[in-house]
Amino acid sequence: MTGAIEIRNLTKRFGTVTALAGFDLSVPRGSIFGFLGPNGAGKTTTLRIMAGLARATSGSVVIEGVEVGRGARPPIGYLPDTPGFYGWMTAREFLAYIARLHKLTNPPIDAALERVGLADANKKRVGGFSRGMKQRLGLAQALLPQPRVLLLDEPVSALDPAGRKAMLDIMDDLRGEMTVFFSTHILNDAERICDEIGIINQGRLVVQAQRADLLARFARPVFEIELVPDEIPQLAALAERLEATGLVERTALDGARLRVTARDLDRARREVLPMLAGLAVVRFEMLGATLEDIFLNLTDPANSQPEVTP
Amino acid sequence: MIETFGVQLRKELAELWHTRKLVIVVVVLVGLGLMSPVLAKITPDLLESLGEDQMEGIIITIPEPSQKDAIDQLVKNISQFGLLLAVLMSFGAIVGERERGQAGLMLAHPLPREVFVLAKFAAQAIMFGAGLALGALGGYIYTAILFDAPPVGRYLALFGLIYVWLLCLIALSLLASTLGRSMASAGGLAFVLIVVLLLAGSFTNLAPGALLEWGRTVAIQAGGPARWGALAVSVAVAALAVGASCAILRRQEIE
Repeated sequence: MTGAIEIRNLTKRFGTVTALAGFDLSVPRGSIFGFLGPNGAGKTTTLRIMAGLARATSGSVVIEGVEVGRGARPPIGYLPDTPGFYGWMTAREFLAYIARLHKLTNPPIDAALERVGLADANKKRVGGFSRGMKQRLGLAQALLPQPRVLLLDEPVSALDPAGRKAMLDIMDDLRGEMTVFFSTHILNDAERICDEIGIINQGRLVVQAQRADLLARFARPVFEIELVPDEIPQLAALAERLEATGLVERTALDGARLRVTARDLDRARREVLPMLAGLAVVRFEMLGATLEDIFLNLTDPANSQPEVTP
Repeated sequence: MIETFGVQLRKELAELWHTRKLVIVVVVLVGLGLMSPVLAKITPDLLESLGEDQMEGIIITIPEPSQKDAIDQLVKNISQFGLLLAVLMSFGAIVGERERGQAGLMLAHPLPREVFVLAKFAAQAIMFGAGLALGALGGYIYTAILFDAPPVGRYLALFGLIYVWLLCLIALSLLASTLGRSMASAGGLAFVLIVVLLLAGSFTNLAPGALLEWGRTVAIQAGGPARWGALAVSVAVAALAVGASCAILRRQEIE
């Protein structure tokens, strides 16, 4: 069974610069798919090709059986990273305009506005909307034609925490209703709502897997040690000592907290705790692997052998 | 396609209204229509009053102003302000939407790029058509009040030819707007295209600029040569510019 989105050998070059280096991707129907990558990895270029706004140098994108750029328009809704609206229109007028372009006879404008929390602002001019309101209106216009695939480019990156939560809640509600493909570099967001994750780096897909599988497969034991603020120098010294033992793969010092990624879990369990003797420990905790760890690991330039799992 | 064109044209017209462009164009063109006969009428009086104060001993004989002076004044004003208005109102139409991210949002919907361009041209054509029609009406009434009423058919022919000339300018500005990567570059390109068009008028009577002189001679019944060639070239230039805009936008990648 084919996925809702099938990407084959997608390549995009801008002159001598290769933005997409030819990757395959299959997005399961009905899933919320997080497309992760650092800035400049090729996320927006991929989404623009999927939305029909840019052309691939080679390769193909098939969405719900319709090949993008071959005449017929696939059943998509699209929200660009910085959507531009007509500031003189009200939210309702804008959605009515979109509905007319899609030839919708009874457009569910009220329901769309309600869904994104703009019911009260439906008569307000879009020019006076906040960034978060514009992003929600952008989601409403993408949802209005009831697409089978929703493409969202960095839908929450520029929002404040409240706006981000509201947007993610709306996206979470879409689970099972349609396939949601969204790009982000905010890993917590992807970790929170995605069923499946693809990570792109330098135009190559370095991994694609279900979120739970990915976390399990790349799980590395991570300890977090927190000392009282006065003992930050001792914590830095501890980090150096841990790295010298070969016990750890990486340490990251953040104020009075030290995150330790262990190389050998059993050894670390036995040997790390005794090293804390004499220190004013506030917290010693073993954390599970996070998407951030996986992401940093996979997009690390030192990682010359990226793992690709179609 | 036609239904989508209708939707898009309605949006473009609403935008011209809400952004006050429609009002500006109508006011300026009506103003030019009204002012031209008035200026023709009062210019001799102005010169006379100036002479009384500053040119003692100099006798200037100024012929009695006529309907012909009113029409000359109109053509002169429209060839300057009309040109400026046509370019300013249209050079940002496409590049502006690309820069503001509106094109990126809208062209992902079932809105063919040809329709996007054609609706913009049609809206500009309607706006300038309405402005010119009202300007012609005002100009005709004032000319009739201050001088003699010009023959209606000839006066309409003048405005018809001015309209074709303006459409040619609008089409070239839209082409610049499609080609430009920014508002500044589109403006610069529109300026270059218009300068080339004006320079062409110095070398050949087939250039669109010849339409204004033809219209003037028709309106004042001076019996000059018909410029059918210039009319055909103007229509062709406008059609080619709009067609090229459609073809270029279809190939462009939208940010």
